[in-house]
Amino acid sequence: MQNDRLLAYFMILPVVIAVLAFVIGPTYNVGTLSLTKIVMGQERGFGTFSNFTALTADPVFWLVLKNTAIWILGGTLLCVLVGLGVGAFLSVDSRLTTGLRALILLPWVLPDVVTAMAWKWMLHGQVGIIGQTLETTGLTEETISFLGDPNLVMWTLVVVLIWRKMPLVALILCAAIRSVPDDQIEAARMDGATAFERFRFVVIPNIAFSLTAVTVISMIWITAEFALPWIMTGGGPANSSQIMATYIYQQSFEFFNWGIASAMSVINLVMLASIVALYLYINRRSWASEGSK
Amino acid sequence: MNETPRTFYWIGLSIIGLVIALYILFPIFWLFLASFKTQSELAQLPISFWPESATLDAYKALFSPTHQKGQLLDWPRLIGNSFFVAISSTILVVFFGTLAGYAFARLHFPGRDLILGGLLVSRMFQGAALLLPTYRLMTTLGLQDSTIGLVLLYSAFGLPFATWIIASSLREIPRELEESAMMDGASRLQSMAMVVLPLATPALITAAMWHFVGAWSEFAFASILLESNENKTVTIGLASFVELFTLEFQFVGAAATIVALPIMLVFFFGQRYFTRGLLAGAVKG
Repeated sequence: MQNDRLLAYFMILPVVIAVLAFVIGPTYNVGTLSLTKIVMGQERGFGTFSNFTALTADPVFWLVLKNTAIWILGGTLLCVLVGLGVGAFLSVDSRLTTGLRALILLPWVLPDVVTAMAWKWMLHGQVGIIGQTLETTGLTEETISFLGDPNLVMWTLVVVLIWRKMPLVALILCAAIRSVPDDQIEAARMDGATAFERFRFVVIPNIAFSLTAVTVISMIWITAEFALPWIMTGGGPANSSQIMATYIYQQSFEFFNWGIASAMSVINLVMLASIVALYLYINRRSWASEGSK
Repeated sequence: MNETPRTFYWIGLSIIGLVIALYILFPIFWLFLASFKTQSELAQLPISFWPESATLDAYKALFSPTHQKGQLLDWPRLIGNSFFVAISSTILVVFFGTLAGYAFARLHFPGRDLILGGLLVSRMFQGAALLLPTYRLMTTLGLQDSTIGLVLLYSAFGLPFATWIIASSLREIPRELEESAMMDGASRLQSMAMVVLPLATPALITAAMWHFVGAWSEFAFASILLESNENKTVTIGLASFVELFTLEFQFVGAAATIVALPIMLVFFFGQRYFTRGLLAGAVKG
């Protein structure tokens, strides 16, 4: 038994070291960096909030917060709503839906650089097929530049985000819906409940747990998503689609404002930590049962 | 049920299904079509749906040095780098993930559940917030602008999830099989290698596929770490078209097709392994 214990620590050592070095270490490092005064790329003294005051003094900061709220809250809400609709459709028994269940994961596995390029092409301001179709069918008077219009760009990005993230939400909810006991649905049907009533009062309460869990997980995914907005707009035009992730990248590697970038990174990490805490809280029962095995 | 409502039901179902299939496939298909069009065709209005005279020029340009105008990156090189990074880190992740997964599933030691939980939670802290400190770390280690550095980084990112998938599947394998092998005189490591691992192969394939897809697709960390053109990966190559070309989407289409192809192959041929890891993947994000 003593041998087994040593063997176990030896076996998990590489994983623990890798995570300490490349995940925990950098997390700690960005925390200390955010509290360090940085002048011209040189570290000048620890123990200051000047990076955070400089960050909040930047007028772009408040715009970034607003855009990030649209990105995370709007994105999560739409992702779950559309995912629920598609998931409900996929849960129907038919050869068609079985095929679709296999196909629908495609946007989820494709590299986000490919997704960004595909949508950038469809949304192109002059020859994009979406803008052109809307114009030739007479729905709009002129070709809309979805990514060039400061009022539209943020919501356009959310639409692309839904395309990418919704499939897994739909599949998880589809699995949950299919595990709802048939006799409950049948009983409601006998009592004269319409299809909508059966969905609202039988299916939804049964999948409530999956629905909450998948909502919180979507928030984590969306908070972490970077390549999609960065490649599609780079935060533009004029910061109108700048979110935390793109702002951190720009401040770090284009403007070299490491103080501001690390302060924003810490705010981003605190936000992620709250969502992760929420996720762990929702899952507390399954963690407990995992531990008892 | 009589015939008429059933027909309507079937038609309604098919229409919704068709709309969803179109929604999923069209963006990719449209960019794929662009790769066969000429530049003038891409710029003309009204938009032509099918290529007027399909051409492979864009692909030829990406692959032949004579067509490279100093703007195009060396695509054979990019593809080689991406395969090197994705395959090497997949091997590391599956090897060390199996060792750790076995320990978490089979051995008793103080702090076991806490360490496994900690590993998984640590991976939820991902994304842009770690870009700057990771850049600083890799520069200090002298691993910036190196594909080896990228292999180490991706392995560290992928290990917690792989460990967890492998540990969960090892828990389902009956202990008795292993115990009887050990009664017959096999050591613990021998019984692990000869008895347990063959049964866990599907989980190892699942872990390998998810990691390969993630490593092949990664963009953010590759873009801040790799500086010289000979070290870059395919996602960086594809993203570089944002600055270089405005309307030359035939190159973007060809490059995107090349980037997407290995992922599509893994996806279609490994479908059942993918769905195995599906719910597990929900945790990974």
